[in-house]
Amino acid sequence: MLRRLVLTRGPELAVLGFLAAIPLFVTNPYALGLLTLLAIYGILLIGLDVTVGYLGQVNLSHVAFLGLGAYAAGLVVVRLHGGFTFSLAAATLVGLVFGGLLAFPALRLEGPQFALATLSFATLTATALNELEALTGGAQGLSILRPPFLGHPLSASGFFWLCLALFALVWMAMRNLLASQWGRAFEALRDSPIATDAMGVGTYRHKVAAFALGSALGGLAGGLYALNFLYLQPQSYSYDLMVILLLGVVLGGRMSLWGAFLGACLVVLLPNLLSNRLLFQVFSGLGLLLAAYSGTRGLVKKTTRPFQALAPVVAMGLLVVGGLKVQNTEDWRKAIFALMLFSVVVGLPEGVMGFAAKALSKLFHLEPPALPPAASLDEVLPARASDGSSLLRLIDLKQYFGGVKAVDGVSMNVVSGAIHGLIGPNGSGKSTLVNVVSGLYTPTSGEMTLRGRLLPTGSLMRVAGFGVARTFQNLQIFSGLSALDNVMVALRGAYRTPMPLVLLGAARGEERKAQADALALLELTGLGVDARTPAKDLTYGSQRLLEIARALARRPELLILDEPAAGLAHPDVMRLVEIIRRIASRGVTMILIEHHMDVVSELCTTVTVLDGGRVIAEGTPDEVKRHPKVIEAYLGQAPAAGAAAEA
Amino acid sequence: MTAAVLAQVVVSGALMGLVYALVAYGFQLTYATSKSINFGQGELVMVSAFVSLSLVNAGLPYGLVLPAGMLFGALLGLFVERAGVRLALEQKSEGWILMTIILGLFFLSAAENVWGRDDRPFPTPISSDPIHLLGVDITPLEISVAVGVFAVMGLVELFKRVTLLGKAFEAVSADRDAAELMGISARRAIMLSYGLSGMVAALAGILVSPITTVGPTMSSTLILKAFSVAVVAGLDSGFGVVVVGILLGALEAVTSLTVGSGWREAPGLVLLILALAVRPTGVFGKATIRKV
Amino acid sequence: MLRVEGLHAGYGASEVLQGVTLEVGAGQLVALIGANGAGKTTTMRAISGLLKPARGRVILDGREVQGLEAFQIARLGLAHSPEGRKVFGPLSVEDNLLLGAFRRLPAFFGYRRHAAAGLERVYGLFPKLKDRRTQAAGTLSGGEQQMLAIGRALMADPKVILLDEPSMGLAPIIVQEVFATIRRLKEAGTTLLLVEQFASSALAVADRAYVMERGRILREKSTDDLRHDEGLLQAYLG
Repeated sequence: MLRRLVLTRGPELAVLGFLAAIPLFVTNPYALGLLTLLAIYGILLIGLDVTVGYLGQVNLSHVAFLGLGAYAAGLVVVRLHGGFTFSLAAATLVGLVFGGLLAFPALRLEGPQFALATLSFATLTATALNELEALTGGAQGLSILRPPFLGHPLSASGFFWLCLALFALVWMAMRNLLASQWGRAFEALRDSPIATDAMGVGTYRHKVAAFALGSALGGLAGGLYALNFLYLQPQSYSYDLMVILLLGVVLGGRMSLWGAFLGACLVVLLPNLLSNRLLFQVFSGLGLLLAAYSGTRGLVKKTTRPFQALAPVVAMGLLVVGGLKVQNTEDWRKAIFALMLFSVVVGLPEGVMGFAAKALSKLFHLEPPALPPAASLDEVLPARASDGSSLLRLIDLKQYFGGVKAVDGVSMNVVSGAIHGLIGPNGSGKSTLVNVVSGLYTPTSGEMTLRGRLLPTGSLMRVAGFGVARTFQNLQIFSGLSALDNVMVALRGAYRTPMPLVLLGAARGEERKAQADALALLELTGLGVDARTPAKDLTYGSQRLLEIARALARRPELLILDEPAAGLAHPDVMRLVEIIRRIASRGVTMILIEHHMDVVSELCTTVTVLDGGRVIAEGTPDEVKRHPKVIEAYLGQAPAAGAAAEA
Repeated sequence: MTAAVLAQVVVSGALMGLVYALVAYGFQLTYATSKSINFGQGELVMVSAFVSLSLVNAGLPYGLVLPAGMLFGALLGLFVERAGVRLALEQKSEGWILMTIILGLFFLSAAENVWGRDDRPFPTPISSDPIHLLGVDITPLEISVAVGVFAVMGLVELFKRVTLLGKAFEAVSADRDAAELMGISARRAIMLSYGLSGMVAALAGILVSPITTVGPTMSSTLILKAFSVAVVAGLDSGFGVVVVGILLGALEAVTSLTVGSGWREAPGLVLLILALAVRPTGVFGKATIRKV
Repeated sequence: MLRVEGLHAGYGASEVLQGVTLEVGAGQLVALIGANGAGKTTTMRAISGLLKPARGRVILDGREVQGLEAFQIARLGLAHSPEGRKVFGPLSVEDNLLLGAFRRLPAFFGYRRHAAAGLERVYGLFPKLKDRRTQAAGTLSGGEQQMLAIGRALMADPKVILLDEPSMGLAPIIVQEVFATIRRLKEAGTTLLLVEQFASSALAVADRAYVMERGRILREKSTDDLRHDEGLLQAYLG
């Protein structure tokens, strides 16, 4: 326990203490200025890492939030004669509000469109800061005086300590957030946005909140930036700076607080690096050696492609040659950033911290903290009374894609407490049908009701809120999360602490409770021993069971199992049948899509057979098996094929 | 302000809009095969324009500068594909966004140092003396822009629709695996599309430079407008970019006249964010189906 | 014509195929049957190069082709009609067919003239496609799309055709039509490897069949033997 604390918290405290102590010994104002910037950029990059790292999107607008925050603080001081805390609060708030406003439209987008939207926002912001001369002073800039902090004028070292304290607070708040349901949700929505929605977690909502949070940090950093430099100019918040910030995050290592810190060090030191020729040559030479070493190693071990090994060497080589030939490195700064960023993105995509974390975890093996004992199943999945009344009713449901009628007028009725089989040949419309019911598609026409209430259409998230949970035929597990975390993500009603309190670390209690609950569900599916195993390392059969455990965490009224036995070996199928029985005994109604007829016969009370998007038979398993249409659809009537050949 | 002034501004703006359309068309070409676009396309326009300017200054006749500049643009396009896009596409990641931004930054810096940071005039034999046409003044230079844009877009569209190779492009876009099964090399199709896209970018640079001058900053202004046009029009409609390009060009010119020249960029950016928010596939684009 | 020896392949860390060996003689129709997830489709993808085999050999007409790119294998005369048909939705029916013959047509102009005979043959086989030649392939019904996918594979004039689940998602009456077509192709001397979940339909047309389970060939039998194997039929009722 103590060892764990020392290893995880020790380095943080050591670095923090070291940084805080420097002004006691060093009085050089230049060095102090760099340290202050380090703390400010630390906050800024932690904010940028939220989108670039945790959401996995290229965000080109962070520099705009820096600018907005800076101007908000500056204007509060100049125009409203506001104090220190007021101006910082205003900066943070402006970041939060504008971040939220941009996030609503932008986060419906992915990849390139998102990058474009953020780039436009950044340019628009720069235009506005330049053109709203009456407010911002335009290109001439805005000078401010630093207001006293709580009545005391701050010295340079005092301001540094304040920035450092804020950086430490942001660091701790982010760590709390990442250790909570929020951190899991970020990971989950990167692995599978569809499953995240289907588990009722709300991809969109989490993305917007995360983006707004990151932007607020950008605003806060901007406020500090303004109070540090005391002079604001629109052109400070340029595309160039944006690229440097990206370089910092990517080089330091995405999805890592330490990575953001390392990145901030780099961003702070870059100007010095460029102005000092000797330093630059040493640095680029080291870079070349590193690229050559890791490239050769990758090629020998055959873990990288030739391009990945060679391109960084070429880029760093250009940097070395350029450093010798070019007269003024400052003129080439953009090219230098480009070459460095290129080498990192191609050769070291996980950044320095990603690389270091691997090495460190080999050196120091840490046992994760012990799990609480599993909760009782009655608490997690209370037994429901099943009265045999109608639960889900579909009336003339249709789903067309272009000319293809995937579901063509299906009506069926699932009674409460039943295991309702849904069978049919490949492509008969089973999967499309459950995709419609679970909200992935909006049906072309038809009606769906659950306990007499209309089911929402076209929203996985809202259907999940109605008490419908599902598994996926093509596994949609959150592969980067542990088995336990996979289940914890989906736990319904377990997380009630609002985000601000989570940031303060108030969610630890409900975390323990959620762990206990999730563990109970893992034990129900026989995965208790694998709780800490990353989902991607589980066997295929266990991954299928994990999806079931995760769906149960929704405490569903209706559970849709989409081919849970596909690809399973016989012993695993038997295990699965046993588990489904146990779930049924708790009164959960199920729709079971399955190819294995023996599984269906053993479990189901009623079976609906689909073919070509229509219901061709319905009844008990035995009735269905004897139904001539079913035999024909499955076995493809041999005599008919013979007749066609004779014709 | 009189109606005549307004008409004049709208016509000049619309002609500039055609250049945005051409740059945006370059995005469509690569998007069609690979679902990726070159975020450094503006730098391609700028560097190709500078190279062509150097060729002009070296005494090459204009009739040769045009094809030579376009060839250079095509080579740059191929380089971007090789160095920035291919790896990411094969890993099915979106790393190409950052990579093409990086390459663009490199080109920009190189141009600043090789040709300087100042804007330079681009001499051309085509006259810029206005002729009076239907109540507005229009220069042969401006007409040459329109002719160039329509000619090259027409040719490329013809290639895409009439030749089997052009259809193969579309097949790669519709289903990469299935196209490979027909014996079509998806990788070569993507390379070719990047080459074509670079060529189109170079042409845009050569056409627009005599009007706007050549300078390192031309890339950033052009690219954002081209993005706006491509996104508003959708990334799969050649007809759409022309319409939206003309509209945006005219709108900008009117904004610049009525609100102030500093706000010139704003309508495009606002339009872009709105279009992304309301209809991410573009006004002329097609919707897609999510699969599990 | 096509020989596969000890083929291993998979996705990421999971090895789906664990040593598949099979052979298709010239002019033969060989069926590959097995439960869902047995590795039938993966076998086809590994043969045609969509998936790089980890080990083993694929020999097409006397030439080793494993490790080549899919488009190179296609140009050597292997046509693969993939699971789920994968027609080029936005393109017209005729463009789809022309692209099927990509490997043997001129890339720019005059390709229509070269393809005329092939088109006539496919339209003869599937008159419905001729009626819809200008329609976008994505708007066809499932059955028509399957006809198009088979026609597209035929256009290449291939040495071997791999047909993956041609009956998938089709109504029984259409399935019968598809199998009638397959029978005609066989009579015309086409070499075919057929993956099919309708075991008995496949067995009715095939010369030989392989049964797959968990990435391996379980047994190889003449179709007569398999057709009278009650246990097997029972296993694939679902």
